[in-house]
Amino acid sequence: MTAPALSVTGLRAYYRTSHFGVEREVKAVDDIDFQVGVNEIYGIAGESSCGKSTLIKTIAAAIRPPLKVLAGSVVFNFGGRAVDVYRAGEREIDGIRWRHLSYIMQGSMNVLNPVRRVRNSFVDFAFRHIGRSTAEFTRVVVDHLKRLHLEPEVLDAYPHQLSGGMRQRVAIALATVCRPEFIIADEPTTALDVIVQKGVLAMIRDVQREIGSSLIFVTHDLAVHANLCHRLGIMYAGRLVEEGPTSEVFRQPLHPYTQHLVSSLPRIGDAEPKKGLEGAPPSLADPPSGCRFHPRCPVAMDVCRGNVPPMVTVAPGRRVACFVAAPESRP
Amino acid sequence: MSATLIEVAEVGRTYAMGGLFSRHRVRAVDSVSFAMETARPEIFTIIGESGSGKTTLARMILNMVAPTEGAIRFRGTDLSTIRGAEARLKFMRAVQPIFQNPFEAFNPLKRVDRYLFMTARRVAGLPEGEVEGAADTALRNVGLSLAEIRGRFPHELSGGQLQRVAIARALIPSPALIVADEPVSMIDASLRISVVNLLRRLRDEMGMSIIYITHDLATAYYISDRIIIMRKGQVVESGDARTVLDRPQHPYSIALKAAVLSPDGTNEKTEVTSHA
Amino acid sequence: MGKVLRDLFRFNREFAAGVILLGFVVLIASLSFVSPYPPNDSFVVPPDLPPSWAHWLGTTSRGQDLFWLLTFAIRNTLLFGFTVAAISRVLSLVIGLVAGYAGGIVDRVLMSINDTFIVLPLFPILVLFYFVMRDKMSWILLALVMACLGWAYDARLIRSVAMGLRTREFTETSIFSGMKMRQILVQDHLPYVLPIVFSTTMNNINWSIGLEVTLSVLGFTDINTPTIGVLVYWANQHTAMVAGIWWWIAFPIGLVIVTFIGLFLLAVSMNEFIDPRSRLSRIG
Repeated sequence: MTAPALSVTGLRAYYRTSHFGVEREVKAVDDIDFQVGVNEIYGIAGESSCGKSTLIKTIAAAIRPPLKVLAGSVVFNFGGRAVDVYRAGEREIDGIRWRHLSYIMQGSMNVLNPVRRVRNSFVDFAFRHIGRSTAEFTRVVVDHLKRLHLEPEVLDAYPHQLSGGMRQRVAIALATVCRPEFIIADEPTTALDVIVQKGVLAMIRDVQREIGSSLIFVTHDLAVHANLCHRLGIMYAGRLVEEGPTSEVFRQPLHPYTQHLVSSLPRIGDAEPKKGLEGAPPSLADPPSGCRFHPRCPVAMDVCRGNVPPMVTVAPGRRVACFVAAPESRP
Repeated sequence: MSATLIEVAEVGRTYAMGGLFSRHRVRAVDSVSFAMETARPEIFTIIGESGSGKTTLARMILNMVAPTEGAIRFRGTDLSTIRGAEARLKFMRAVQPIFQNPFEAFNPLKRVDRYLFMTARRVAGLPEGEVEGAADTALRNVGLSLAEIRGRFPHELSGGQLQRVAIARALIPSPALIVADEPVSMIDASLRISVVNLLRRLRDEMGMSIIYITHDLATAYYISDRIIIMRKGQVVESGDARTVLDRPQHPYSIALKAAVLSPDGTNEKTEVTSHA
Repeated sequence: MGKVLRDLFRFNREFAAGVILLGFVVLIASLSFVSPYPPNDSFVVPPDLPPSWAHWLGTTSRGQDLFWLLTFAIRNTLLFGFTVAAISRVLSLVIGLVAGYAGGIVDRVLMSINDTFIVLPLFPILVLFYFVMRDKMSWILLALVMACLGWAYDARLIRSVAMGLRTREFTETSIFSGMKMRQILVQDHLPYVLPIVFSTTMNNINWSIGLEVTLSVLGFTDINTPTIGVLVYWANQHTAMVAGIWWWIAFPIGLVIVTFIGLFLLAVSMNEFIDPRSRLSRIG
């Protein structure tokens, strides 16, 4: 058993803003622990403003004020070299980006410079990391594109000549050309049509398999997780509430929130009436006491109102933060 | 007077694109026809991906854009003959929209209740004394109440709540037809199904006809009676929702259905070398 | 409103500085109401006295106390600036919002009028205007003419914002709520263009005061109403610089510069405060 590719421990990151005397604190990421294995695809699911984007920014060391990391650590392991993101210096982080850790976003097709050929975007981003002669660099890029079933001719195109789906594929190729050990993908297929989405997901899976890197994949779309991720973490209101192998989370969700999400997913061929969930996700500026899900939870107990359920392991590889699902965690 | 609620007859919309020298025409919608009956309230779904012309079609039905070909008749009246403030109000009394993005549907700097009161006053034409009661009734129909909404700004409400307020606003004049353009695509998963259920209730309990525009085949299957599938402005397949979605015939519909990811997963996943 | 101003004063240094500078200018202008000398009387004090305790800013060659004369001048100048700004803001708001909202033919007609005003050469027209009007020239008339010439750029700016607002979904909701165009423009769109209106107001006041001073110095305005420009005009007529009466020119110009800086600082801070994005992060 090797060391995990990423260990996040007790991570807490808040937004602190002050506008003309109105002070605000948004608890976007609160006490999150998880690990991602080598060669693993780890999915993070959650609704809008549940803190998943903030979590990703914190992991990728891309925080800017007003976001502040208050506690916890984020440690990557790049082939035996451990890098603690919040202890490392600016230079070390810069050296890691792109070469070892890369990032695919929802709008990442926009990283391609619109007035330059795609080839130049590759040179801008990757040349200094690959660091060989121009001819060799081109060969590396072309080989990489071929492995991803992209025609090398796209290098001579301008971004506007490519369709949205093709741009996203090129952006993924660009993000992976240095064969990073760790890839973070934040809603990379959300803006795409379903037919295009399917192809892009297949490509992400191929590139991950080919490079053998670890991947964190964030999306609100559970169907995407079901088809891509080995393990899945569910976030609710700034906390991780459940984690487990994807198929098990879908087959037997433990947390009441996950249970609702899974059972309310509409499927083709299923017109059975489904029940909605009352209430709305809380504001992270003023989250409820205790378990943050308790105001909407159909099985909430008194203990849930005053105490924060800890994330406990209930079966091999399965963790949940709920007093109902894990009675032994009650105080 | 026929019993047709709305009739879309060979409707098309062409946009001229480009500059002075490279002018070309784009057919956003190309001879689309369908009709809905007054006597049989139904959820009629228009499915399409981006660029399929489904939103342009919706805007034409709402009389926000005029068709360049064909005609749309609502209760026998051609929409292009509706002129003047009075006639427009009369049309809005019978046809109301629900928009895609609930966070955009209300002015962020204004309280949301103003839209409800304004609709009751202007569109429904209620006397001042009945305005609040009408707003409250409509809100209760969507599972909210005026007490919860009064004086609130959009940012104080969740996407699901806002979309329900938007639906409540559309309900106030008791329209015969509601045009909902992607009403759940911006709503969180835990709230989505309640909004979809609400559309279903409008049909079953309040007898309203709904044109539901979406790219999501799963919710379409869940609530629709009839569907049309659009591609590049043209209808490629139409018919009973369950029949079409269970056994699509057109190659595009088949591809579309095949691309929908099932929550049950396909699991062609790689082996993990180490587990954390 | 009181709280807003207090918060602005406390948390925004530009605003505080702007308020203090402009407050000082307004205070001086308001002292004109208690002036011991009527503004147009000359030779009421000994001429050409340098600043002293008896005459704080000295006296002019025409035997006027410069301090008290200056209070009238700055009052008229400010009043002129605000009048031009108020009238031209109304014009640019109405034209910009309507053109942006209505679009189509209305937009094209309004914008071709707008562009005509943009290309009109200002200065020759104002000079020409003076020669036509001559003795009938008054500052109100000049303010009206300048307002008519000063709205076009900002109307275009407002139109571009209004065009964007027209396509926002909330505008559609308002239409389907039965709101009339006037209501949508005033209630929905106006708050979004207010930042532009405020910052351009300050710019416009600066511009109109500057132009008025220029015209007055050259004698192309009603020289019997004291303004900052008229003061400098008379000083030039009496060759004040050559005669060493520096205070006659220095103090009026100093005061007008203080006014400019104050307005600029207010424009900067108002802009930030009124911006809907910063407004949204404050409410609630």
